[in-house]
Amino acid sequence: MSTTAPSVQAPAVPRTATWRERISNPWGRPRFLAITTWLYILWSLLPVLLAIRFAFNSGRSRTSLQGWSLRWFWEDPTLSVFNDPTLQQALKHSIELALIVMVVAMPLGTALALGMRRWIGPGSGVANIVLLLPLVTPELVFAVGMFLLFTTAFGFIGLGTTAQAIGQVTFTLSWVVLIIRGRLATIGKDVEEAAADLGAPPMHVVGRVLLPLLVPAMAASLLVAFALSIDDFVVSQYLASGADTTTVPMRIYSQARGGPTPALNALATIMLLVSLLALVLAYVVFRALTRGEQSDRGSAFKQLATDLG
Amino acid sequence: MSEGDIRLVGLVKRYHDVTAVDGIDMHIPAGEFFTMLGPSGCGKTTTLRLIAGFERPDDGKILLDGNDMSRTPPHKRRVNTVFQSYALFPHKSVHDNVGFGLRYQRVTKAEAERRVQEACAMVRLQGLEHRRPGQLSGGQQQRVALARALVLEPPVLLLDEPLGALDARLRLDLQVELKRIQEQLGVTFIYVTHDQDEALTMSDRVAVMRGGQIEQCAEPRELYEAPATAFVANFLGASNLVPVSVTEANGDGARLGLGSFTLRAETCALPAGADAVAMIRPENVRLEEHGSQGENRMPGMVEEVVYLGFHQEVRVRLATGTLLKVDVPNEADAIEPEQGDPVSVHMPPKHLRVLAADAAVPAAHTTAAVEQVPAA
Repeated sequence: MSTTAPSVQAPAVPRTATWRERISNPWGRPRFLAITTWLYILWSLLPVLLAIRFAFNSGRSRTSLQGWSLRWFWEDPTLSVFNDPTLQQALKHSIELALIVMVVAMPLGTALALGMRRWIGPGSGVANIVLLLPLVTPELVFAVGMFLLFTTAFGFIGLGTTAQAIGQVTFTLSWVVLIIRGRLATIGKDVEEAAADLGAPPMHVVGRVLLPLLVPAMAASLLVAFALSIDDFVVSQYLASGADTTTVPMRIYSQARGGPTPALNALATIMLLVSLLALVLAYVVFRALTRGEQSDRGSAFKQLATDLG
Repeated sequence: MSEGDIRLVGLVKRYHDVTAVDGIDMHIPAGEFFTMLGPSGCGKTTTLRLIAGFERPDDGKILLDGNDMSRTPPHKRRVNTVFQSYALFPHKSVHDNVGFGLRYQRVTKAEAERRVQEACAMVRLQGLEHRRPGQLSGGQQQRVALARALVLEPPVLLLDEPLGALDARLRLDLQVELKRIQEQLGVTFIYVTHDQDEALTMSDRVAVMRGGQIEQCAEPRELYEAPATAFVANFLGASNLVPVSVTEANGDGARLGLGSFTLRAETCALPAGADAVAMIRPENVRLEEHGSQGENRMPGMVEEVVYLGFHQEVRVRLATGTLLKVDVPNEADAIEPEQGDPVSVHMPPKHLRVLAADAAVPAAHTTAAVEQVPAA
């Protein structure tokens, strides 16, 4: 009794928080959230880091650490990525294919997205769903179908690079359309109407207003197309015609069963670098293109991230 | 003959089973500041979009200086629009936004440059030509939108709630400016708004719309003082709508029955026996001491007094149960009514208007100005 009474009038003494308050303080930093996030990031990076580590292994093993070297990149006269013609061929073909897919899927997807926006009426709803179908179809089913198509009805095309490119463009297109349409939705119809109102014929509305506003999304979809193609295994595998149409994922998969060497890790590391480079490049280009559209820094990245879905 | 004469003939627009514009006939002479006013969904914006060419009418004609343009695509119509959302091109500078449409007019580079400068000067945007729209305030963006349309020197300018997204202070400034520009250029303005103050202060004529049709089209003063329908009276400003029955009607006016009381109105377009509402503006009702005698006086009791600065709004419950709103100016020698005071209200015959009863417009209890709903 006598101890509680004066403490009411006493000036507030900074009281050390109980540990219960520390844990459940709603004004504090969300520690658990941060810890969980970092744990997840570490966990997801771990296999990648491990794979990269073994790319620099000086021994032949892909399981035990044997010092550091660049042997599997180019120093080894026969087995390194640089000197093994099969690995080199796979890398070349993968990048070639990815470039073709990028350059075909982006303009095609953009045109499709613009067309879908104009198309109101019966059928447009169905077309919408069909366009997005490849996003959810099992890739294997899609690839088997494609394989049958190119060996029967479209036999004149046959298997090989062309078939692989067509196959990859087909499913990449859905992503491109998704990205472009997302951006179109934020652009809004009123800008188009304003341009027409000011005298611009339909082609100019697209050329002078819509396309410039779509450039960031187009850059994003280029990147996505590239990444999807580089990553693709199932479609490339089914539609390949021989050694010269083997992609990196296919090569890694087949060699992993034969005599795997850290050269495969080196190859994967190179692919990772190429992808990262593409991302950085896209970001730089994006920043340059959207300058002035947003005022705050870092928003370009956010916009890119939104456009990437 | 000056350009910019717009005539709408039997204009109809349907969306599936909804008729947005239901047979509008309207004539807007060149150089007029014409406003379409109405609540959300009354068809005012659709009518404007039909004139601009963004929508195709299902029936009717749109004549600009006598030529039907209802089948002309928007980019070939000599009308320009200022959008509520501004619809500026975010990737172009102010200068390029304003100059956008000049490319489609036969003007030299130097001439185009001069006109862009002139347009920017007219809306007071000098010095901001190289900014992007994202770096401008809402009011400045609206000025760019205005300059972009005016630079083409259209005979008719369409404005779709152009001040809707701005704060009250800026709205007043831009209202004055819009009116100045319109008078200076002599361009026909067709203005869409749901804001009655905006409509009354700027317009030469106002069309009050309802359900895709024009309820009344008149000058602001006539619209306010002599509304043709209960809907117009209710939508424009505050009004008292008292349900009455017309007991006697002749050239000199009418006698109206309200419970056991009789009121006289100076004008009446309705025949005897009709159900009607008597409309009187709160500022025209006089508050007198209890027991004062004379025609059109009724006893009542003060139910509520709301202080509003330069005046107070007194709500009086009449003996018949009707609630009447009275505006009492805060003058030095005004009587100070208090809640519960018995009073007498005087409704001068010349201010009493007899309108047809309208089931959709709430009567009996007086209603304040219609709630302001953003966007049509």
